[in-house]
Amino acid sequence: MDGVRVLVVDDETDFLDMIVRRLKQRVLDVSGVTSGDAAVRVIREHPVDVVILDMRMPEMDGIETLQEIKKLSPMVEVIVLTGYANMESAMRVMEMGAFDYLMKPSDMDDLEYKIQDAYQEKRLNEKMLNSSQGNREKT
Amino acid sequence: MLRFLKKLINRTEPEATESPEELRIAFRVRYHHFRQLLKANNKTLEVMAEMDQALAGQIPFDMHFIRSRCTEVTTKVWQIVRHINELASGRYALLFERLKHIQKQIGPHVRHLDVAHSGAFVLPLEDVDVRRTGQVGSKLAHIGEIANRIQMATPDGFVVTAAGYQRFMAHNDLQTEIDRCVQATEVAHLDQLFALSSRLQQMIINAGMPPDLSQAITAQCRRLERPGRADLRLAVRSSALGEDILGASFAGQYRSELNVSPDNLLQAYREIIASKYGLSAMSYRLNRGIRDEDVAMCVGCLEMVDAVAGGVMYSRNPVDLSDHRIFINSVWGLPKPVVDGTLDPDLFILSRTPTPKVLDKHIPPKPCKFTCYAEEGVCRLDCNLVESSHASLIDEEAVELAHLAIHLEEYYGIPQDIEWAMDTAGLFVILQCRPLHLVDSEKGLDLAAEEPEFGQSLLRGGITASPGAAAGPVHRIRKEADTLLFSKGAVLVAEQALPRWATLLSRAAAVITEHGSDAGHLASVAREFQVSAVFALPGAMSKLSNGQTITVDADNRLLYEGRMETLLAGRKPKKNVMEVSPVFAALKAAAKHITPLNLLDPDAPEFRQKNCRTFHDITRYCHEKSVQEMFRFGRDHDFPERSSKQLRVQVPMKWWVLNLDDGFRQEVTGKYVDLDDIASTPMLALWHGIVALPWEGPPPVDGKGMMSVLFHATTNTSLLPGLRSRFTERNYFMISKNYCSLSSRLGFHFSSVETMVSDRPSENYITFQFKGGAADSHRKTRRVRLIGDMLEIYGFRVHIKEDVLSARMEGHDRKHMVNRLNILGFLTIHTRQLDMIMANPARVVYYREKLEKEITTLFNP
Repeated sequence: MDGVRVLVVDDETDFLDMIVRRLKQRVLDVSGVTSGDAAVRVIREHPVDVVILDMRMPEMDGIETLQEIKKLSPMVEVIVLTGYANMESAMRVMEMGAFDYLMKPSDMDDLEYKIQDAYQEKRLNEKMLNSSQGNREKT
Repeated sequence: MLRFLKKLINRTEPEATESPEELRIAFRVRYHHFRQLLKANNKTLEVMAEMDQALAGQIPFDMHFIRSRCTEVTTKVWQIVRHINELASGRYALLFERLKHIQKQIGPHVRHLDVAHSGAFVLPLEDVDVRRTGQVGSKLAHIGEIANRIQMATPDGFVVTAAGYQRFMAHNDLQTEIDRCVQATEVAHLDQLFALSSRLQQMIINAGMPPDLSQAITAQCRRLERPGRADLRLAVRSSALGEDILGASFAGQYRSELNVSPDNLLQAYREIIASKYGLSAMSYRLNRGIRDEDVAMCVGCLEMVDAVAGGVMYSRNPVDLSDHRIFINSVWGLPKPVVDGTLDPDLFILSRTPTPKVLDKHIPPKPCKFTCYAEEGVCRLDCNLVESSHASLIDEEAVELAHLAIHLEEYYGIPQDIEWAMDTAGLFVILQCRPLHLVDSEKGLDLAAEEPEFGQSLLRGGITASPGAAAGPVHRIRKEADTLLFSKGAVLVAEQALPRWATLLSRAAAVITEHGSDAGHLASVAREFQVSAVFALPGAMSKLSNGQTITVDADNRLLYEGRMETLLAGRKPKKNVMEVSPVFAALKAAAKHITPLNLLDPDAPEFRQKNCRTFHDITRYCHEKSVQEMFRFGRDHDFPERSSKQLRVQVPMKWWVLNLDDGFRQEVTGKYVDLDDIASTPMLALWHGIVALPWEGPPPVDGKGMMSVLFHATTNTSLLPGLRSRFTERNYFMISKNYCSLSSRLGFHFSSVETMVSDRPSENYITFQFKGGAADSHRKTRRVRLIGDMLEIYGFRVHIKEDVLSARMEGHDRKHMVNRLNILGFLTIHTRQLDMIMANPARVVYYREKLEKEITTLFNP
């Protein structure tokens, strides 16, 4: 799983530090930010593959952040990781194109699997896009 | 029209003219979605199984459990629908509508209800009666009722209302923080509940008081501090809303603070609020199925009564409906040790006559009492010799109390449980009054002599705190930490009947204590949970040892060594108190849209998107269709790498293999594939089991068995191979490196295995389905049961309906899964035609033992 670039967005710094540290131990290229605003800024400058996104954040919440990320970079896969499980919000974020909706505390193994799966989907989507573009150019 | 549709469908499919590279990517993408779908499918089934377990009373659960499981299942079903649409080019889009529709049906049952409490933050007691129950909680509403409408003596005071509670919680945004902590906890694990409880209580105790609430409370204190009176001291008691749900007693689950000065009242207030998340209150709600949000903590602040004597009286016998006498428990000083179960009180039994008469009394030595400190707080004092040996009430006083009890019962129309105190002027003051929880003893409480058939009893005596009989190993509890090791079904033995042991009542078979009375909180909760209890049994702690199995006959107050089956037999099963609770109702209502399966038969015309009525239907439908889609795609594309191959092996049957992704070690172009080319871990594991022993052929059939086979083969054409779709005609493996599905139709039997085995244990699973057989259904059923029994030995969860067997296993590591697949492969081959011998039980036993022995030697499970 080398090369996957992960961005964690969570306003709770203790949690953010913990999860960034533990994901780094698993040889992932991980960084963390504490607001949706910052996440959008980071993604604008450095491409990422997978975003781990908290829901309840002051100012820009998870839904808005998800919207912005998908607008900015539709190929980025977003995994929601929330402390406040809610069926309606799960439906909403899935409909908006989130890869998964997980509840804290997530098992670290499971979170890593999700990241890998999301990354795989992103790579396949990119390949598919490239090959169909290539095909179109040929014809 | 049909052609148009076909065209439409084909347009979205990769064309045969696509480049091999594109096709290769298309295959990979489809397999990715298929695999994601299977994972979500697996998770959905797990969560649904958990919901069923919860509804069957096998695991305790709260609203948080329901909300998180519903959220998870919704998310997973969404993924299933998304992935099937990805792999079938949007042909299942209607399912999104079905999903949304179903989700909307579930929503109202699990939504967080925030009831807005209106009105004043505090109410003086003179303004309170039962009409204010919704504002002040039933405990204080009844004290108000007794003071203002029955006009009996109660302490004066005030209540911090539900609106006040809401103000406090909102001020600190506490609920949000609490919900977050609760989500992160497995409440069914006592140690986690322990940590959660102390964390939440700390949070509340340290939270700031909203100034307007503090002011309102302080103003009430000033009102009570009238000149000429002694310094104001208060008894601060919980009076939670929702306590009176379904006769839940909540006895002693919350904290009370006695003799508190106004200076420390705000702190005491927060401590009472915090006790909503005390360990016993949390586990009580969990086991009774009461929603956290229904419990608003109102707090009563009543003038402290400096009691000369106090206690609890019952206007009836709580464990014998035919006994109409009045029972008064009494101690010197404050009534606290009676409710806490720490002291054996005096007991007076009075007749229910116009002038009650003392019929019986029991005056044990009372070594100590609780009294108020002059400054603040209460203390335990040694009683002097006179107090210790004398009754804490004279008969005339007991009669006066009995009058009060009769009056209160008549007023409310039902038996009452009354806490009382006698002040320094000799006046009786009512501190609390609530309906008495009655349970009837099945066998009657005659002080029966030991029944000789049971032999010598181990111990005898004490009082019946809760009737019934039960058996289990002894577990002695001395301190809070001991509770963590308490195992389900044990007999709790403790020195005192402390309310905090109530945490264990949902798991205890019976309770025995050396001290305490049937009037204490623990006794109330034991009766509520129908746990047999004998209290005040001298020597219980020293004479019983941990692990020793005993039978407790609470009705007759006798303990026996070992399990006395005759004594235990014929007892009514315990009512599940959970089943009538709001939490249970919420799960049941939500699960109605989740777990039932209506789409049973994939070949039926009803098996369609629009007929998916539950999440299970969607899950089942998508699973079936996704397998078909994968199979069809592989078959229909003229893509040699991915067309199905015949397996080149030296066994009598023909086996086909379809590679979905990375199931072959290298590119295989011809019509055949060798076993050496197979890279699929689960397929190889199954195959290993299939060929582990050469198949001996069908066992010798008795005449009747053969007749039965022939008869059914001629009457039931669906049993004949070759009449169904191509997919089920033969043995078909669909594989990738970590995935394998095998559908095989061998003779009259249909079986399918689906499994995922990788280095991710949480995603590993095996499902197995088996049906059919040529013999009559009686024999088929027996054979299915034989296979089911065998699979259960090796850890599969087995479900049998008629002659259809489904088995599942999940969550183990690779090595374990491989071993179980070996066994499964072995069993599917070697039990194939056993139903011909199934009429003969001796042969069944013989074959079963033979199979077990072979499995042990071959696979060493």
